[in-house]
Amino acid sequence: MYKQPSFWLTLIALVVFFAFISYAQKNFDAYIIRIMNVAAIYVILGVSLNLINGFTGQFSLGHAGFMAIGAYASALLYMSPELKAMNFFIKPLIWPLNRIQIPFFPALLIGGLLAAGAGFLVGAPCMRVKGDYLAIVTYGFSEIIRVLFNNLQSVTNGPLGLKGLPTYTNLWWSWGWAVFTVFFIKRLIDSSYGRALKAIRDNEEAAEAMGVDLFYHKTLAFVVGAFFAGIAGGLLGSLVMTIDPNAFNIMLTFQIVLIVLLGGLGSITGTVISGVLIAVLMEWLRIVETPMKIFGITIPGISGMRMLIFSIILMISVLFFRHGILGDREFSWQGVISFFKRRQSNRGG
Amino acid sequence: MRRFFLVVLMVSAALMFAAEVTEVRIGAGWEMTGPIAGFGQMSWDGVKLAMKLRPTVNIGGKDVPVKVILLDNKGDKAEAANVARRLIDMEKVVAILGPCTSSCALAAGAIAEQKQVPLVTNTATNPLVTQNRRFIFRACFVDTLQGELLAKFAWEEFKSRKVAIFVDVAQDYVVGLANYFKRAFAKFGGKFFEVYYNTGDQDFSAQLTYALAQNPDTIFLPGYYAEIALICKQARELGFTGNFLAGDGADAPELIQIGGKFVEGLCYTTYFHQDADLSPKTKPFVEAYVKEYNRRPDAFGALAFDAYNLVLDAIERAQSLDPVAIRDALAATKDFAGVAGMISFPPDSGDPVKPAVIIEIKGGKPELKTVVRP
Repeated sequence: MYKQPSFWLTLIALVVFFAFISYAQKNFDAYIIRIMNVAAIYVILGVSLNLINGFTGQFSLGHAGFMAIGAYASALLYMSPELKAMNFFIKPLIWPLNRIQIPFFPALLIGGLLAAGAGFLVGAPCMRVKGDYLAIVTYGFSEIIRVLFNNLQSVTNGPLGLKGLPTYTNLWWSWGWAVFTVFFIKRLIDSSYGRALKAIRDNEEAAEAMGVDLFYHKTLAFVVGAFFAGIAGGLLGSLVMTIDPNAFNIMLTFQIVLIVLLGGLGSITGTVISGVLIAVLMEWLRIVETPMKIFGITIPGISGMRMLIFSIILMISVLFFRHGILGDREFSWQGVISFFKRRQSNRGG
Repeated sequence: MRRFFLVVLMVSAALMFAAEVTEVRIGAGWEMTGPIAGFGQMSWDGVKLAMKLRPTVNIGGKDVPVKVILLDNKGDKAEAANVARRLIDMEKVVAILGPCTSSCALAAGAIAEQKQVPLVTNTATNPLVTQNRRFIFRACFVDTLQGELLAKFAWEEFKSRKVAIFVDVAQDYVVGLANYFKRAFAKFGGKFFEVYYNTGDQDFSAQLTYALAQNPDTIFLPGYYAEIALICKQARELGFTGNFLAGDGADAPELIQIGGKFVEGLCYTTYFHQDADLSPKTKPFVEAYVKEYNRRPDAFGALAFDAYNLVLDAIERAQSLDPVAIRDALAATKDFAGVAGMISFPPDSGDPVKPAVIIEIKGGKPELKTVVRP
């Protein structure tokens, strides 16, 4: 492993990347840092959903629900008792949550683990359903979570949500988790488990006939995907400083699905690219919502135009780029090296 | 030596040129789309008029143009926080106007407080919006006052003894106002009970069936105009003949557009009415507004107009574009003549003491009933 050039190239790339992250955190404009944080969270969400949808072939629409669990669980653990008391002014927060305050990292992990638990609860019964029916079941689960959180006043503060959350999320946290997510899921996909997941995607009956435990592997995909969605939810809550159940609605799930579809079902590299792309576009496209002058003509800003443009992007990608940016292709150092070798031989010839 | 002085002169001239203020950037984060878009639209109309009447601010003897950057928070808490962050970090604004609603103002206020940029909300009335926050101010009264006022009005004017309170559990403003009303109404010896709904609900038959079975003489609606109109309509259709009472969330033309004849007789508190003599600036504002928009001015526009001028007044007194200096000047505001009443901020508070206006829907129009001065 250590003798392979790809290992050292990856290591060098990571060192360079985190040196850049360190520089960015210290020197970049706060607004750019924010977009970079959102991009990292989108990468985590996209890659984790791709594990379920792209690699295992299970059409899930429950990611927003897993995010909500992670966001609320971690927030309720890292918030100070004073901040909790200020937020819960209708019904007091239940004991012992009203007393507990733990550091950000363990709070995030617990949020992720609780989301993973929910992933198991969803993944296990979903053995009996496939395709569109699975999508409906997982969407139903996501809505159940949202409605539950809207009504559990003494646990989640109901629809009022939690405000003024401390901002722990920075580039180290967000991109650290993004890199770990990509690394973990890449390793999982390249392992025997990953091959089993792909076999399930390609032909469930054949995979089962070959001895693949469908229940175990499908549930594994849901649990791992949900864990990282929970982590992303926790990071997002601390970044935005405000969470409420209605923030985790179907629109958020569609946004994550858009990232996966644009990147390519079954492509981690594509998902990373589209995650960053959509985070940047989400902010950059705000210009269409503000008044602007083109050739001396003032065009009024139309609120809500951003989402219209995203809908058009989704339609175009579904119609013309059915396999997304990269299809199921992945970045590899071998590919980069052979690309440069080809260019050199072309020049030589 | 001469060359040295020449270089120094050129460098200092360049620095002076670089430091010269070219425009004053003020942010506006309002609910331009979503379930309460009416509030944002009215607020923005108020600011557009204010910008037309006062497009510059005097800093260092120079009239510097003011640019207001408007962003839509969609009436969503998380988006309100995003908007505040974008206005401060990217647009580099020196102050923020809005949001209208308490839930959004609480979310945006957390960002503004953290970044130390003053935020002046025109109509967010929940006390928590400014509580323990140095950089958050409001141009309106507070729900503690509004709740007491409405309870007194229900008890004395409507002779209400049993009130059904419809609470939108998704809005801090609604929950807060309902609580302050209950507290005050209980002191009078009145009875009340609560029923709950969520922003965006359309069908209230279940809540109304439960409520009307208990024979209330008044329905108190501390929510927002869309739901208020629908509740009034459905309550009348179910045979309710009692009174309707609401807070400032009812104050939008859409209330009458949606509710029609069913909101007739509804009374609500608000901050402004064109016929109320609230300050020397009221009449000129009404004339300018009617001339500009060809319709009567509303409370949200009036208070947004005041919020804009309040910030400009603070900038002129601070003679600086440093947000902290502007905040200090805002906190020191005394007897500022706003179109919706005089504004003075008590020590260590962003809550002005303001008059309240009670409106009654008569003949499909909001008519002035009375002005209550604190």
